[in-house]
Amino acid sequence: MEPLSRRAFLTSTAGAGLAGILAAKVPPARAQQREISYLCWNNFAPASDKKLAEIGQRFTKDTGIKLKIDHVSHMGPQQAKYASEVQTQAGHDMVEMRMHFPWLYEPQLVDVSDVVAELEKKYGKAISSAYEGAHMNGVWRAVPQYHGMFVATYREDLFKKASLKVPDTWEDLYTVGKELKKMGNPVGIPISQNYDSISTASPVLWSFGGMEVDKDGKTVRINSPATVETIEWYKKMFRDCMEPEVLSWSDSSNNESIQQGKAGWIHNPVSAYIVAKQRKLVTADGINHHRSLAGPKGRHETDVPRHIAIWKFSKNVDASKEWIRYLLGKREVYDEYIMSGDAFNLPIYDKLQDHPVLRTDPKYAALRGEGVQYHTYGWPAPASDKVQLITNSYILPNMIAKAVTGTSTKDSIAWAETEMKKILAG
Amino acid sequence: MAVRADEIPVPRGRPRGTARLSGWLDRESILGPVFVTPALILLVLLVAYPFVMALYFSLSNAFIGRPSEFIGIRNYVRLWDSDAFRQTFQNAFVFTGISIAFKLVLGIALALLLNEQLWFKRLIRGAVLLPWVIPTALSTLGWWWMFNSLYSVVNWTGIALGLMDPPGPNWLGQKYYAMAAVITVNIWRGLPFFAITILAGLVAIPKELYEAAEADGAGANARFWLITLPLLKPVLAIVILFSTIFTFSDFNIVYVLTRGGPINSTHLFATLSRVVGIDTGRIGEGAAISLYLFPLLVFVVWAQLRFVRKQAY
Repeated sequence: MEPLSRRAFLTSTAGAGLAGILAAKVPPARAQQREISYLCWNNFAPASDKKLAEIGQRFTKDTGIKLKIDHVSHMGPQQAKYASEVQTQAGHDMVEMRMHFPWLYEPQLVDVSDVVAELEKKYGKAISSAYEGAHMNGVWRAVPQYHGMFVATYREDLFKKASLKVPDTWEDLYTVGKELKKMGNPVGIPISQNYDSISTASPVLWSFGGMEVDKDGKTVRINSPATVETIEWYKKMFRDCMEPEVLSWSDSSNNESIQQGKAGWIHNPVSAYIVAKQRKLVTADGINHHRSLAGPKGRHETDVPRHIAIWKFSKNVDASKEWIRYLLGKREVYDEYIMSGDAFNLPIYDKLQDHPVLRTDPKYAALRGEGVQYHTYGWPAPASDKVQLITNSYILPNMIAKAVTGTSTKDSIAWAETEMKKILAG
Repeated sequence: MAVRADEIPVPRGRPRGTARLSGWLDRESILGPVFVTPALILLVLLVAYPFVMALYFSLSNAFIGRPSEFIGIRNYVRLWDSDAFRQTFQNAFVFTGISIAFKLVLGIALALLLNEQLWFKRLIRGAVLLPWVIPTALSTLGWWWMFNSLYSVVNWTGIALGLMDPPGPNWLGQKYYAMAAVITVNIWRGLPFFAITILAGLVAIPKELYEAAEADGAGANARFWLITLPLLKPVLAIVILFSTIFTFSDFNIVYVLTRGGPINSTHLFATLSRVVGIDTGRIGEGAAISLYLFPLLVFVVWAQLRFVRKQAY
């Protein structure tokens, strides 16, 4: 055989390699190892983020797909991240979204109905709030991941000490709230520009029979006697049971207030207790939970479903779906993930509702889902981008804040009605 | 024997290409554009392009991730229907006016103090710059802790000294206190810029003028009003010009401290623009909010630069 010169060797191998790449239409690096990225919010139960990283490493080991998990604060920058990724058509392959966010980005999200169908076949239907948030125009635009339910978090030790009855209705809360404030442990319901404010204002409004927008999704119904009742209830609560600080609170302020021993009652998922327990705060033992409160028109709970969505600009849709199937579709992995959240991240599929995580602590009894009417913001209007806009504009808490700081109830409601109508018309 | 120019051999150590390049660079008409081009590219990419894009967005119904249409100045007109925008418009002038007035007065006072013969003068001058050097988001987070209803060291100290009744002012939850809080932080942050720039102006004033005035019997007040202030005017005009632009477009302080609340009472153009353009996805409207004051600021810049030019010549 004739010896091969160095020049001839390089020419022939480079040519063959280039031909291979052109034929496969895949650059060599990508062919060797696929890499996907996932942007998720900082979890209110921090151990859950650690577990997610651990599961991610196992996923890489099992599938050879490299996974990069990034976290973003839950305090606001997530919308800016979504917006910049969509506008530049670059960034993460997958993003975590809560509530109706998928509606805002619908044209940019991959149809994940196939993945959801597999999960529903295995675990039962996704709960109603998940359906409201991520199922649009006959298509799932995000995969339901877990949910967090708003309950009442209260200082059981203080209630026992003062012989206070655990409230069952919003009116009961006013009765005990007056005593709590006298004891120096006021009720802590935020009335400010954050999501927790809406998560409490909505069930109060619903339980008085009110709504922001009608079922048709087009007619603003905030100007109603039920809203007047809601505002009057907030006014007396603000005056007799709370302190003005609630007007400046962020999403975490009510948690901190009960953890630091100030608030005697807050309306929040169990994260306040979980963090108090993990940090071994002195208040942890005294904290307990009960179901969210009822009004003349029943008991309604705010639910916060979380989803995983895949951007359409992603070049790794299949690999991303593989990760979602790995995290949520393998029962043992999903269980492990849910357990790490210590009852903050509740399973979002029907057959998993009586999950062992609810039996890890007797203080999670209030989270059992019997008879719960899960609603997302804006109910009973069908979920839509407009409903999410009303939410993100904080119209409901601003209406209440106006009323409790001196604007008349009538004018506050009229203001909210005008703002909502503008959004629906826009 | 006569030798033609093209017959002169080119020196070996200098290749012909390099010589040609060197010749080009000796010509001002080529060297000038070469030096200016990188700056021009940066200006076009980082300033002009985003500005033109923002202008286009503001004239469209752009929504994040969806196709948009040109709608003329409808966004600018419709903004006046928004309660939050009208409130923001008012906030911006209150915030900027009060902040600049305080920064100006305190800045001159601080500069006069720093101009005196002090011990550790250099160290003090360096330390004064700290609020301006520390990233605003970080320092404002510190202020947030100080004003926070649960942990407020301001209230704790006030109550301990008997100056406040418990629980103390609701700094971030009551609209006037909240505005006072964001203005205070803006003054704290912007004061070093005023002080150091005015100090530079003070140092440049010839000592002979003061000596002559003193010899004529002028007191400290007269020297300040008749020598210091008139000679500082061009510097003050420039400082006020820059600070007006920075303060009107402030974002970090309000975003970290109050997020525009309570009930939009501390929103500035930048923070409201973020809420509307990013949080609710309406980029067109958000861009219109952020550009609303552009014509006014252009006028302010023009008027003040004209004033400075008159002072200088």
